[in-house]
Amino acid sequence: MSPVLVAILRVLAAVGLMLMNGVVLIYMLRKVLGHLHVRLGPTELGPAGMFQTTADVLKLLTKEDILPTRVDKVLFFLAPGMVFVPSLMAYAAIPFSPTWIAANLNLGLLFTIGILSLVPLGIVAAGWSSHNKWSLLGGMRAVAQQITYEVPLLLAALPPVMLAGSLNLADIVRAQGTVWYWLPCFPAFLFFLVSGLIEANQTPFDMSEADSELVAGFATEYSSMKFGLLFLAEFSNTFLFASLMVTLFLGGWHLPFVPDSIVPAIGLPVIFMVKVYLVIFCLMWIRGTLPRVRIDQLLQLGWKILLPASLAWIMVTAAGVKLFPMIFGGVR
Amino acid sequence: MSDPRDIVKHSGWIAADVPTEPVTLPAVLVEPPCGVKELMTENLVVNMGPQHPSTHGVLRLLLELDGEQIVRGEAVVGYLHRGIEKLAEHRRYNAVGTLMDRGDYVSGIMNELAFALAAEKVGEIEVPRRASWLRVMMSEINRLASHLVWYGTMGLDAGAMGQFLYAVRDRENLLDILEDVSGQRMMFNYVRPGGVVNDITTTAEAKLRTFLKTIDGYMEEHSALLGGNEIFQGRMRGVGIVTKEMAVAFGITGANLRASGLSFDVRRDRPYAAYDEMHFDIPVASEGDCYARYLVRMEEMRQSIRIIRQCLDGMPEGDHMGKIAKVFRPPAGEAYAAVESPRGELGVYLVSDGTDSPYRMRYRPPALYALQLGEAMLPGLLIADAVVSLGSLDFVLGEIDR
Amino acid sequence: MSIWGTGILKGLAISMRNMFRGPITVQYPRERVELPERARWAVEMKYDEEGNHKCTGCYACERACPDYIIKLDITTDEDKNKHIDAWNYEIGACMMCGLCVEACPFDAIRMGHDYELARYNPAELKIVLLEDTDVAKPKRKERPAAPQAAPESPATEQKEASDE
Repeated sequence: MSPVLVAILRVLAAVGLMLMNGVVLIYMLRKVLGHLHVRLGPTELGPAGMFQTTADVLKLLTKEDILPTRVDKVLFFLAPGMVFVPSLMAYAAIPFSPTWIAANLNLGLLFTIGILSLVPLGIVAAGWSSHNKWSLLGGMRAVAQQITYEVPLLLAALPPVMLAGSLNLADIVRAQGTVWYWLPCFPAFLFFLVSGLIEANQTPFDMSEADSELVAGFATEYSSMKFGLLFLAEFSNTFLFASLMVTLFLGGWHLPFVPDSIVPAIGLPVIFMVKVYLVIFCLMWIRGTLPRVRIDQLLQLGWKILLPASLAWIMVTAAGVKLFPMIFGGVR
Repeated sequence: MSDPRDIVKHSGWIAADVPTEPVTLPAVLVEPPCGVKELMTENLVVNMGPQHPSTHGVLRLLLELDGEQIVRGEAVVGYLHRGIEKLAEHRRYNAVGTLMDRGDYVSGIMNELAFALAAEKVGEIEVPRRASWLRVMMSEINRLASHLVWYGTMGLDAGAMGQFLYAVRDRENLLDILEDVSGQRMMFNYVRPGGVVNDITTTAEAKLRTFLKTIDGYMEEHSALLGGNEIFQGRMRGVGIVTKEMAVAFGITGANLRASGLSFDVRRDRPYAAYDEMHFDIPVASEGDCYARYLVRMEEMRQSIRIIRQCLDGMPEGDHMGKIAKVFRPPAGEAYAAVESPRGELGVYLVSDGTDSPYRMRYRPPALYALQLGEAMLPGLLIADAVVSLGSLDFVLGEIDR
Repeated sequence: MSIWGTGILKGLAISMRNMFRGPITVQYPRERVELPERARWAVEMKYDEEGNHKCTGCYACERACPDYIIKLDITTDEDKNKHIDAWNYEIGACMMCGLCVEACPFDAIRMGHDYELARYNPAELKIVLLEDTDVAKPKRKERPAAPQAAPESPATEQKEASDE
């Protein structure tokens, strides 16, 4: 097959995965939150309410696309795209299995995190162009928090890179064959969890769309499919951070105590997806329980605590890798 | 507060009544770092409008923001004004209870009780002992239900969703009991001048006993889920501090006052309706921040459970309604009666002219003064803090607007 | 970290425990909650074993209603027989306070348990409970005592005596 056709198929597969994820994740969120809160989630459409998200998507598609008069038309139109497209591009380097990667980049980690850092640009464009003071506040908060946590995110992702010796995400997973990296790099795991929650705008850090303060934050003025794109991008970001966490710390496609050889090749992506969904379940569990952190407390946490702590842990890991190569395993 | 005559329409703001002395901002905002030229910034005037997920009712807050910090705030009320005090002048005494229910709709029994006590004072009606005990039991059940609503909405204001549903689950049991006794879940029309309308049923007693078996465990969970949560503590400690002097100057009563260090409770200091026969403690805190108010109300919930247990076990025999005419015509006179509602001292000042409806009924809403205090403490807070502080003051717009 | 985060972890454990307790939802309209006996919803006419109503047209309910919702249209013949043309009840404005039922001396109405009162046509919110029928003979009888109520007290005779 010509490489162009293969590339197109891969892109379509990524798009399909993103949309399917959106549908499944929204349903899963509503059901999980419902049961955590001693109530049922959606139950009407389909068995156990399975077709609720499809109905919601159809509803969003058929709604009127309202354009308020005084918005900045160019930015208002582009902002959902600016949030959605980087999110879609970041699927490129995620290793679902040793062979199922859309683009086996040697700088996979750097590419993913770099692309995802374009999302705050779209959020602030959405907030600014809406010509609505509440959206502006939401956009400003989003930019503040996401820029603050870009650095701890990458710094927390560095210890697995040091242990595996490569920025290629598939290599990092392969290097976790014996011990998964969440154990030797436990503080980095926690820092990555916190930074990832913030980058994905999830409670306890969802200040930019704090619905008890700002109604819907930066997405207030959007309707119909523009809102659908913003909403979808949020869930897609959650999936991406969960899959980054699984890749870097939780062993990717490996099973816990069983060697890979007994698993058929088709089972590896399934294991990966199951793990990602388990992580997302934990994120939703946190979302349904914890209150929100205040924006200035969050920024203080980022600059004063998380940044020095992740730098310190990098130094510890570096020392450990050189001094104890056997305990920390790895390619080196 | 805006001119009280303008209770429905707002006469516009940033106009003639702008104070001439400049508002002093905290130092952290005023001094720029060295070497940086001062940026020209403008303050943002935002409307946290009548429809908002976080204002407890239809309250409009006009905020002038400098970034995230509030420089000036003004509360506009009147969206829920229904004319309760005026309508009471055209209702018979046993029908005024239907109006009082709708004031502070979260704790209806106590509103009716305040009016009934005032009417009994004017008409010199004797209330049987069993009726007093029933009133106390229903009041405490209602206090527990009201505090559960406060607890749930406090969680929602801070961003957590689970607490609200757990509080509502417990509240459903209480509302079932209230429905069994009085007939309705919210607009009870149960306490009348002279006593109470109906006696308690055996099914209600059974439901109450089942509820009391599990509520202690649930209260532990509630306090661990919100109060034990470090994020929540970080949001609430040191936020919205109300000093004792401020509280007394604004006329605050209830849990807000007790959280600022002054121990005053109408149930203990001016006892009414069998509270002098109950054993309960009054929780007091001294910091005066939101966390202190939270702790005081959680402890009040536990004390309410204690009182309900005492009422169930020690209920005396007797009538549930005293000797009162079917159409009650008290002699001319005036009386003031106050009860301890979950929001503070709820008072009713009744003037009677000898006819079958009151001449004037003044309803003293404790939440009005709490809102005034909330409005006065807005400058200097961040928006998130403002939402949490106003939530911790626990006001209900139905009472403020009447 | 272990000292600072324990409250959060405990909270997470509590919400997971609540997840396993199961939902408390009553899936209305497939399931309905049983109302207690005293629940006050729409006013209904009471009928005895032969199917006769007990209303004598005394206007006590109309006078007791705080919102002036009940309107009785009664004509009196020459031989002092009263005839109810219509017993009008604005169910859309009723607040279900129960004062009319308390005021009725002949136990002719009660608070029913019907709460599904929404209609598509606002004209249907004004209903007529009795139409074009003679009044019943006034058999002045005590209202049945509330279940487990205290024994009859002198207060009820006082209430009868000072009736208007």
